[in-house]
Amino acid sequence: MKNFDLIKLPFNKNNPITVQVLGVCSCLAVTAQLKPAVVMSLSVIVVVVLANLIVSLLRNTIPPRIRIIVQLVVVSTLVVLVDQVLKAYVYDVSKQLSVFVGLIITNCIVMGRLEAFAMVQKPWSSFLDGIGNGLGYSVILIALGFTRELFGSGTLWGYPVMERLGLYNIGYENNGLMIMPPMALILTGLIIWWQRSRNKDLQES
Amino acid sequence: MAKKTFSNTYIFIYSAALVVVAALILTVVSVSLKPLQQKNQAAETKQMILKTIGVEATRDNADALYAQHITEQDGYYAFSGGIVLPLRGTGLWGPIWGYLALDGSSTVVGAIFDHKGETPGLGGEISSEKFAQQFIGKKMDTQPIALRKNADRDNAYEVDAISGGTMTSNGVTDMLESAYNDYQSLPRPTSQTSPTEEERKEATE
Repeated sequence: MKNFDLIKLPFNKNNPITVQVLGVCSCLAVTAQLKPAVVMSLSVIVVVVLANLIVSLLRNTIPPRIRIIVQLVVVSTLVVLVDQVLKAYVYDVSKQLSVFVGLIITNCIVMGRLEAFAMVQKPWSSFLDGIGNGLGYSVILIALGFTRELFGSGTLWGYPVMERLGLYNIGYENNGLMIMPPMALILTGLIIWWQRSRNKDLQES
Repeated sequence: MAKKTFSNTYIFIYSAALVVVAALILTVVSVSLKPLQQKNQAAETKQMILKTIGVEATRDNADALYAQHITEQDGYYAFSGGIVLPLRGTGLWGPIWGYLALDGSSTVVGAIFDHKGETPGLGGEISSEKFAQQFIGKKMDTQPIALRKNADRDNAYEVDAISGGTMTSNGVTDMLESAYNDYQSLPRPTSQTSPTEEERKEATE
């Protein structure tokens, strides 16, 4: 696979959420608003890239029978380490992140990429694969966060868009279903539907 | 190579070494960063208390401003206009806490809430400015403030709960109730209110 494809494919034909269907749990949990969705995206990009790199470097020494546990130790050490450093030097960022720590460690995308890619590929390819999948995940997360916050709370990044547009005065109301997790699943389903209808390769006969 | 990584001895040594290395890294980082982290947390608590009485402090000048405005008492904090009550409780996923500044007539003049790990965008909203603002002007004199769905804005004892964050909202209500009970046993700054039914009951017991 060409290096550029490693970055490009996760955006469409090999998107971690809509095609690999990984990381759906966190995608439902943190997209009620745009800001946490962006924070989560950035955190996952950093973790998936570093974990891919480390596991790829270790890949020939890891005993196959306990590989999942080894991957888990690498990922959780990495996440806790980053959180500790942030807590000491950039306390505000760490406060934003604290609730996500558990969600990052158990994110199936991280484990999925380690298992499917980094265990059998060279470090540089694994590094790029991490970036690609991290970004592919971010695109979906941000799209969901944008839609859910705008229609569910009438705000964007906390800015009261709908109020400023004066829509409440003419009878507009926020859709309470938007901020509930089931709506995130429905929206994800709509994205998958739209993507598959446009892409012949993804259609199963 | 492949053969070697399958042997039991190799697996035992590998996993033991991996865990020891990970534990070592985490311990060293945690111990060496602890003083900085504790300093950040202490400053944050002072910032929160100062904020409820309308003093904006940065992490650097929090110590000085705190010494200037606040006197720590047993179970509460005194400032020139009244007292600041500490709130401690549990949300859905972990601890929640906050501070409530009350003037001489038990009216809320400032409030702030925070949480360890409530769901971002739902229960996590208790730490937002918008949520805390609702408390201003409410009263803690004869009954605690409670969170309700579609709360009546003119009722001094209720504020709007968070949609999608019912468990966290219930936690806040419980926390306010236990703070109210503590508050009843505190010496009042000024006795403008007549003793309530509960107080009378407590006095006779």
